[in-house]
Amino acid sequence: MKNQIYNYKSKVVPTWCPGCPNFLLLTGLQQAFAKLKIPNHNIVVVSDIGCAGNISNFLNTYRIHSLHGRAIPTAIGVKLANPKLTVVVVVGDGGAYGEGLNHLITAVRANYDIKVFVANNHLYSLTTGQASPTTKTGTKTKSTPFGYALKPIDPVPLLKNVNSSILVENVDSKNPSKLFKKITKTLKHQGFALLDISQVCLSFGN
Amino acid sequence: MIKEDFSIKLAGPAGMGIKSGGQLFSKFFQSLGFYFHDYTEYPSLVRGGHNTYQATYGYQKVHAPHQKIDYFFSLKPGHCRQHQNEFHPNTLVFSDKKNPVSKGKFINLPLSQLSSQAGNPLSANIICFGIIAFLLNQDKSQATSLISKVFSKNTKTNLIAFDIGYIYAQQNLKQYQQTLKIPKQANQAKAQSSAGGRLTSFNDGNQAFAYGFLQGKGNFYAAYPMTPSSGTLHFLASRAKDYNITVVHPEDEIATASLSAGAAFAGARSAVGTSGGGFALMNETVSFCGMSEIGMLYYLVSRPGPATGMPTWTSQSDLLYAIFSGHGEFPKVVIAPGDQQESFDFANIGLNLADQLQTPIIVLSDKFIAESSASTTDLSKEKVIVNRGKILNSVTKNFKRYNWITRSGVSPRCLPGTTNGQFLANSSEHNQFGFSSDDSIVAVKMQQKRAKKLKTAKILAPKPRLFGNKQADSLIISWGSNKGIILEALKKLDNFAFLQIRTLWPLHDSIKKTIKKYKKTIIIENSQTSRLGFLLKSLFSFSPTATILKFNGRPFFPEELIKKLK
Repeated sequence: MKNQIYNYKSKVVPTWCPGCPNFLLLTGLQQAFAKLKIPNHNIVVVSDIGCAGNISNFLNTYRIHSLHGRAIPTAIGVKLANPKLTVVVVVGDGGAYGEGLNHLITAVRANYDIKVFVANNHLYSLTTGQASPTTKTGTKTKSTPFGYALKPIDPVPLLKNVNSSILVENVDSKNPSKLFKKITKTLKHQGFALLDISQVCLSFGN
Repeated sequence: MIKEDFSIKLAGPAGMGIKSGGQLFSKFFQSLGFYFHDYTEYPSLVRGGHNTYQATYGYQKVHAPHQKIDYFFSLKPGHCRQHQNEFHPNTLVFSDKKNPVSKGKFINLPLSQLSSQAGNPLSANIICFGIIAFLLNQDKSQATSLISKVFSKNTKTNLIAFDIGYIYAQQNLKQYQQTLKIPKQANQAKAQSSAGGRLTSFNDGNQAFAYGFLQGKGNFYAAYPMTPSSGTLHFLASRAKDYNITVVHPEDEIATASLSAGAAFAGARSAVGTSGGGFALMNETVSFCGMSEIGMLYYLVSRPGPATGMPTWTSQSDLLYAIFSGHGEFPKVVIAPGDQQESFDFANIGLNLADQLQTPIIVLSDKFIAESSASTTDLSKEKVIVNRGKILNSVTKNFKRYNWITRSGVSPRCLPGTTNGQFLANSSEHNQFGFSSDDSIVAVKMQQKRAKKLKTAKILAPKPRLFGNKQADSLIISWGSNKGIILEALKKLDNFAFLQIRTLWPLHDSIKKTIKKYKKTIIIENSQTSRLGFLLKSLFSFSPTATILKFNGRPFFPEELIKKLK
């Protein structure tokens, strides 16, 4: 009874757009927590800013809605202070690979025992659609009306190259059953694990 | 015969052991029962330049080093002329012949020759120690046993260097020998025992803060190296295993503060250490702590800015920056220790305030306190009162972490791991559970709840202290590291009272009343524009009769203040 999915749900109704891939991430996390029987009071979810960052309002674990880019170092602080806790980070592509890239690389180097889920929709969505570090070169966005000039970050090879002993994988949220399996796998990993979840923003994506 | 305070200064390029040699002098006189206070100057480089170590030794507590030097040693030629203003007619100035001075008594000391005789070009500091031991007619055995204790690695070569200095003085400097009146036996006994008392310990402000952190059950310290705060990082890192605490050096100051905030949320007594530039990067976390009501301690050791400024020098110019750090309106406490002993006290008081008030607390120190050593109690044994604030061990479902029905502004919290306590620490404005909310009523109620903490802080934070002649007409108003210098000056001035403001934010109401009692008021500050003056003017519509400011990176010296106050 204690570890049923609804135990991980807060009373707040998610504010995401209908059909947003973030619903899959939310459900996937709740299912995995229940499946792995981790009591909700022993979980700390640290979320970043943006659409995915709002997930902390919809979960019933201990949570920190931190500042943009700082979810990872905040989570590391939690884990170092109390290693018994399961520490989960939910962050967008901007927070993980842009504003917080230095923190991400350091966490990978140190192999801190935190689980990072990147809702990677290749776009800044809550700020109404600007280019992100994973936006494809040439893409026209509000901040790059003539096409994005930079090369996108490819997180899996990048992070593997920094520390091959971490778990870093990519999954497409168009395949929910695969996504759910990988969420569980990421949570079960001993040490640093990152799941990069490819999403499409229904409001601002192409 | 020497019966009063006396001062010694060593000068030379970096890498010559100016500080380690100087500290040997201080440890020696401390073991004889003297009180001391030292001060070092060094540029931000590893070799060369011009470094100094000076200390004043006294029969009573020395609150600050004196400017006038009695024994001056230039460890390499060319390091004494710039100090001529610090010499009096009887100052003994030792140096190689090349740079005679017009003030003081110049004595040619062939240090390079003596060093090569000792077989170590870097032994000039120990040779000078031998000379001082002879000049002050001290027992050789006590000095040599101290050398063996302090330099356990190269004991033999250092003892040879000491002997060379001592014998050279015996043969050449006999006419300068003086008898030093040794402090009362009681002081000596105290100095040599570890049972407590004022004299047993040798601490700079950074180390004192570290001891206060450890005794105050601090268990999470994060810092990115930045002069002049790094001493605390080094000391705590070296003790982390013994005390079973976490000490981290993260990738930047932003991560440093974020880590510490996360740790505080999870239940740690947590602090960060930095100086102005690093604190600038931490500002977003100051604001985050204010909003999410996470109590953590910022140890801010000031140096002159703006930007990189003068990294190894002292300043009080960051006062208003500390007070107004972080965007948005939220309560914050800024406390400033006045000396090494208060650095110890305020580390624990700061941790207590963070837990009691659940908001950012800043301990504002500066280079002069942090990197100067003085006689303190044995801080490793000193007891403190630890207050963890309101932490609930059990809660019922639907826990209102940010319950706004509170007189103090503080709502009880619970730590992750507590059943039923799941809440959201939110950087967005939120309701009583922590859920994001931009409801107009919630926004006002929450801001009002948090603001109440400032009133609570006035009750809990260190009160101002009044020193000197309280019946005098004139009042000196100051804060931070000027405390010691003013107290040292007041040894020679009996017509001044001195108000030390220990909590700079929020200002205690009694300050206004105290100030009103005096005919003349003088603000003393280590800044160009009197930051404290600005604060007192804007809060109390108060203007002092006079302001004494210094902003060249150097602390005031007691002699300077005596001259200006007379």
